[in-house]
Amino acid sequence: MRRIQDRLGSVGIHAILLSWTLLALFPLALIVVNSFKTRKAIFGDPLGLPTGKALSLKGYESVMTNSDFPMFFGNSLIVTCVSLFFILLFGAMAAHAVSEYRFKGNTFISIYLILGIMVPIRLGTVALLNLIVDMGLANTLTALILVYTAQGLPIAIFIFTEFLRSVSREIKDSARIDGLSEYRIFFEVVIPLVRPVIATVAVFSMIPIWNDLWFPLILSPGEETRTVTLGVQQFIGQYTVQWGSVLAALSVAILPVLIMYVIFSRQLIRGITSGAVKG
Amino acid sequence: MATLELKGVEKFFGATQVIHDMNLSVADGELVVFVGPSGCGKSTLLRMIAGLETLSSGEIHIDGQRVDYQPPSNRGIAMVFQSYALYPHKDVRGNLGFSLKHDKVEKSEIDRRVNIAADILGLQDLMSRKPRELSGGQRQRVAIGRAIVREPKVFLFDEPLSNLDAALRVHMRVEILKLHQRLKNTMIYVTHDQVEAMTLADRIVVFRAGKVEQIGTPLELYRTPANRFVAGFIGSPAMNFLNADCKDGKVLLNDREVCRSTHPDGPTTLGVRPEHLQVDKQGPFQGSVQVFEHLGGEAFVHLNLADGQTMVAKLDGEHQFRPGDSCQLGIAADKCHVFDNDGLRVAS
Repeated sequence: MRRIQDRLGSVGIHAILLSWTLLALFPLALIVVNSFKTRKAIFGDPLGLPTGKALSLKGYESVMTNSDFPMFFGNSLIVTCVSLFFILLFGAMAAHAVSEYRFKGNTFISIYLILGIMVPIRLGTVALLNLIVDMGLANTLTALILVYTAQGLPIAIFIFTEFLRSVSREIKDSARIDGLSEYRIFFEVVIPLVRPVIATVAVFSMIPIWNDLWFPLILSPGEETRTVTLGVQQFIGQYTVQWGSVLAALSVAILPVLIMYVIFSRQLIRGITSGAVKG
Repeated sequence: MATLELKGVEKFFGATQVIHDMNLSVADGELVVFVGPSGCGKSTLLRMIAGLETLSSGEIHIDGQRVDYQPPSNRGIAMVFQSYALYPHKDVRGNLGFSLKHDKVEKSEIDRRVNIAADILGLQDLMSRKPRELSGGQRQRVAIGRAIVREPKVFLFDEPLSNLDAALRVHMRVEILKLHQRLKNTMIYVTHDQVEAMTLADRIVVFRAGKVEQIGTPLELYRTPANRFVAGFIGSPAMNFLNADCKDGKVLLNDREVCRSTHPDGPTTLGVRPEHLQVDKQGPFQGSVQVFEHLGGEAFVHLNLADGQTMVAKLDGEHQFRPGDSCQLGIAADKCHVFDNDGLRVAS
């Protein structure tokens, strides 16, 4: 009796999880499927598979050849990677400082750093725009990198702080006795110990940056500095929308995130679960 | 080879004083054990010697040189931690050589020292393993090896055996003792286990609440404890403390004379070690057996005395009692300890 109940429970849970997965994947699948179809087929039969006459690679062709899409792609990649690098570096360093050292104002500083989670950075858009223009950084990738770094730091510091607190104090002390400087303790002892967390923070920070439309639109809408999300807009004209190209561009844009996720996923899962069970 | 000297060392955490005016000098090659209940400040003092905690006042000298303003790596010390504190991403060889590599010691010299340490500790077969692939005892050996390769003037051990199981603890205790006899380095060893303290130490420093209760060789502490705390802390099972009376230089328990003392007339505390008691028909300790534990070679009798006080005696395995039996024990007068009302031992 007990075993049957357990069975039913597990079937139920899997049914829920499975339907959730389908629900979440459906829009994505729709984009990818329709990106391989002719314009007519997209509207005629949105849910149909790209077979026979419906199949068309025109969208991908125009994305790769007739547009600046590769440049937009490169811009997105540069902005995301450089921002990510700074978020991870400064986030981990700040978290190390507040979790490791006893100094006056420690609690105040850690709360101040984490407070950013509650205040959406977009509230400051106007001030940010003024600042960026005054600094002469309008229409540059640097502007985006600075803003995204600021945007990603609070949550990164929050996650890092929790994990760095769990790094054994004795290991750091032992490194001190071995004569390592505080910087080398951080880079050679602490960082290797929290690698799963770095993956977690990287994925969490990367996705909003890659997908963002707001700041590229406001801070760097120039032809040379467009990111993918903004670049897709060029296929959306005032009178006609090249749906095939839009969907193809979006499908390609999913790839980097997907690749990053596959690379980090094992570490990511370890990072998420070790918080709960201290594995 | 080095001496270690503490002069008036004090430590405050905020307004709380955790170390009170500590003065100690450790001779070259001596193994000194800091022992005391947890929270008594012994680990804090060790961390101060290592340079991991600052001093609130006082001086620390190693080998005649003042070191308390120096960073840990310049003090000529090496420390072994309770949790081993190995670098998890480095293999055994990497762990052993890490500090030397950082000091830019030549490769051949690093190899030489690492190999010597590995030979001493029997680590040669484990050199390419990661710490997570080692057992507790092996990890602790690597941690000790990491200290050896630094060729320090002073070794510091912070409860190194607390994380090991009982059998391994006994084994590693002997290993550390052998290591000390072989290297003849000055060593400071912190533990809360009095058996470790008794077996390892040349001298023991007994701590309580940031103050030294007594400093002496293990036998001095055992035979002439300065006060009730030391008497109760050293020795296993612990000493029995009984309320007694002193009259005309005689210590009386339930009106029977146990021993003589210079203590003035009035109530006093009598201390008797369980292992010094023996069955004696004329003995002063008379009571009924509550619990009898037989361990084969020896036996513990838990007695309920006539006035309601309880005591434990360690007898040899010949004896056999049942709960409720009456039992009479005696002790040689020179094995008795008398403590005054402040808990200080009265010289006999």
